[in-house]
Amino acid sequence: MSISLYTDEQEEKIFISSEARTWTRSGLITDEQFGIINARTNTGVSQTNVFFRILFFLFTLACVIAVVGFYLWATGIRNEVTVAWSLMAFSIPFYVLAETLVKRNSFYRHGIEEALALSSTLLLCAGFVLLMNVLKSEPRLFILAGSLLMAASAFWVYLRFGFLYAAFIAVAALCVVPFQLSLSPANERVALVSILMLMLWMNLRKCLPTNEDFKKEKLATIQAFLLAGIYLAVNLRLPELFRIQSGYPGISDRSFAGFAPLFYWTTYVLTFLVPALGLYYGLKNRIRLIIDVSLVSAVITLATNKDYLGLKHYEWDPAILGVVMVIVAGFIIRWLIGGNNGMRHGYTARNMLKPENYGISPADLGTAVVIGEIAANQPSIQPEKPFSGGESGGGGVSSGY
Amino acid sequence: MNIAALLKEMHQEGTLSSDQLGILTELHLKKRFSIHRELRTAIYIGVLLITAGVGLTIKQYFVQLGDIAIVGSLTLGTLAAFLYCFLKGKPYSNDVVESPNILFDYVLFFGCTFYATDIAYIETQFHVLGDLWHNYLLVSAALFFFLAYRFDNRLVLSMALSTLAAWFGFQLSVRFPSMHHYYRESAIAYSIVIFLLGYSLHRLGKKKHFLDTYLNFTIHFLLLALLSGVIEYKIASWHFPAMVTAIVAIVAYSLRTQRFLYMLYAILYGYLCLGVVVFNFINDTAGRFLYAIISSIAVICLILILSRKFKESP
Repeated sequence: MSISLYTDEQEEKIFISSEARTWTRSGLITDEQFGIINARTNTGVSQTNVFFRILFFLFTLACVIAVVGFYLWATGIRNEVTVAWSLMAFSIPFYVLAETLVKRNSFYRHGIEEALALSSTLLLCAGFVLLMNVLKSEPRLFILAGSLLMAASAFWVYLRFGFLYAAFIAVAALCVVPFQLSLSPANERVALVSILMLMLWMNLRKCLPTNEDFKKEKLATIQAFLLAGIYLAVNLRLPELFRIQSGYPGISDRSFAGFAPLFYWTTYVLTFLVPALGLYYGLKNRIRLIIDVSLVSAVITLATNKDYLGLKHYEWDPAILGVVMVIVAGFIIRWLIGGNNGMRHGYTARNMLKPENYGISPADLGTAVVIGEIAANQPSIQPEKPFSGGESGGGGVSSGY
Repeated sequence: MNIAALLKEMHQEGTLSSDQLGILTELHLKKRFSIHRELRTAIYIGVLLITAGVGLTIKQYFVQLGDIAIVGSLTLGTLAAFLYCFLKGKPYSNDVVESPNILFDYVLFFGCTFYATDIAYIETQFHVLGDLWHNYLLVSAALFFFLAYRFDNRLVLSMALSTLAAWFGFQLSVRFPSMHHYYRESAIAYSIVIFLLGYSLHRLGKKKHFLDTYLNFTIHFLLLALLSGVIEYKIASWHFPAMVTAIVAIVAYSLRTQRFLYMLYAILYGYLCLGVVVFNFINDTAGRFLYAIISSIAVICLILILSRKFKESP
C-alpha cells in the first residue's frame, strides 16, 4: 500500500519524461520525438525548473521563519513551554498547507511544498526538544527523543511527498541515536554500522526486478547514501583528513586511535572491503551512484591508509595519489576503447548522456579557486616589504598591494 | 507504462527508428553503460592532487631540491603538456570543438597549472620584474585565454578569468568578502572589462558557448561590489541605481534567453539589496518581520507568474 501523495503511474511518467529530456540533450532523439513522449507522459502535475525551485524553497522558508518570528514577537510570549507548544502548533498548518498545495494545485517538487513540509518537521522537533529541555530531562534523553522524532517525521515526509533528502535526514537523525546510549566509542560505531546495515538490508529486500524504474532509481539513491554512511562509520582515521587542513592535533597521536587493536584492524580491513563490495555490487547491477560512492570511498581509503598504518605523511603524497588516479583512469579508457565498438561487457568510456549545461560547472569554479592556491603556497624567502603579504588569485605570483 | 513499452510503441508507430530503439533500449536496460563522467572526474581530481602535491613539496623542500631542479622540472612538465596539446589537438574552430580524447582537456589543464606554479616560483625567488611583478598575471591570463580559445577548454578559460581578476587586485584571502573601497572599484572595473571582452568575442562569433562563463564571473563580481556599496552608503550613492539597472538588465536577459540561472542570481542579489535599503528605514521589529513576510510572498507570487508564463521543464 502506497501512502504517497503521487501515484506510481505519475512518478513513472515523470521519470520517463526526465529520461527523454536527457536523450534529447544528448542528441539521441529529436525535439519532435521528445514532444511525442512528453504528450504521452503528461501527468497533470505542476513542475518548475531547478532555479525557480530553489527560489521557491528559499523564499517560502524565509516566509515561514518570519511568520513564526512575528507571532512570537507580537504575542510577547517569553515562557519556554508556551514557545515550545507554539512551535509544535505551527507545524500543523504548515504541513496541511504543503499537502493542500499538492492535492489542489498538483505541485511536484515545486519548492514551496518542500519548504513547508520540511519546516513543519523542524518546528515539531524544535518545539519538542525545547519542551523536554524545560522539563529538565537529561540532555542525552531529549537529544535521543528529538532524533527519533526527527527521523520519524522526516521519514513520513519522504513516504508522503517522496523527497529523497527527507529520507537522508531521517537516516542522519537515526545515526545520532547510538551516540546517546552511553556506549563505549567502539560499541557506538558497531551500533551505528548495525543500524545502517539493517536499513540497507531492508532497502535491498525492496529491490525487485518488477519494480517501476522510478522506484529502482529511488532505492538505488538511498542505498548509495547508506553505503556512504557505513563507510564513514567504519573509517576511524577520517578525522585525520580534516586535521591536515585545519592543523589541529588529531587522533593519530593516540595508538590505534584510542580503540582496541582488534577493533582497529577490523575497521582497517573494512575500509577496503566496503568500497570493494560496493564497487562489485554497483558494477554488477550497473548502479551509477553506488559505483560513484564506492570510488570516492576507495580514494579516501588510500588517503587515510598511512594514518591507519601509523606511517609519516609526506608533501608529495597527494601527487602520488593523483598520478595513480590518472594512470588508472587512463588504463581503463584504453582498455574500454580497445573493445568491440569501444565497449567491453557493456561499459564504454564514450560520452553517451550529456549533463545539463548551466554555463558554469563545479569543475570551472574549482579551477578558479584552486589555481589561486598555487600562488598562495609559494615558499617565501624574501624579507617583509611594505604593502606586501597578500596572495594572488590566479596563475601568477604572490604578493599584494 | 514504462520506458521499454513506450519505445516499442513509438517504433511500431514509425516515430522512432530501429537504430534509436536499439540504442535507447540498451541505455535503458543498462546494456550500454557509460562511465565517461566518472573517468573525467577521476582525471580532474588526479590533476588537482598532482598540482597540490607538487606545490606542497616545493614549498617544503625548495632549499634541498634547488632552483634549477624545480624550475627545470616545472618547465619541462609545462612544455611537454603544451607540446602534446598542439600535436594532438584538432584545428581551431569558432564553434564547439570536441576533444580528441578524454585525457586531452586535463593535459592542457595540467600544463597550465604547472606553468602557473613555475612562474610563481620564479618571481617569488628571483624577483625578475621587481615591483612590476603583477604584470606576470596579465601575461599568464593572456596565455590562458589563448589556450582556452585555441583548444576550446572552459576549465582554462576559468583560470584565465581568475588570473585576470588577480591582476585587477583580487585575492583569495579573508579580505576578499569585506569588499572595501579599493576592491569594490576594482571588481566593478574587472566585471566591465570581462563583460565587454566576452560580449565582443560572442558578437564576433568566436566560441559563442563561452559567453556563459564570462557572464557568471561578471555577474558575481559586479553585483557583489555594488551590493557592498549599497550596504555602506544605502541609497545615498550611485551604487543603488547601478545595482537596480544591473538587475533589470540581468532579468531582461534571463527572460529573453530563458536561462533561469540568471533569474536566480538577479532575484537573490535584488532581494538582498532591497532588504538592506528597507531595513535602513524600518527600525521596529514588527515592521521588519512584516516586510520579510510580505516581500517573500511577493517574490513567490512573482516567480509563480514567471513559472506559469514560461512553463519551464525541471
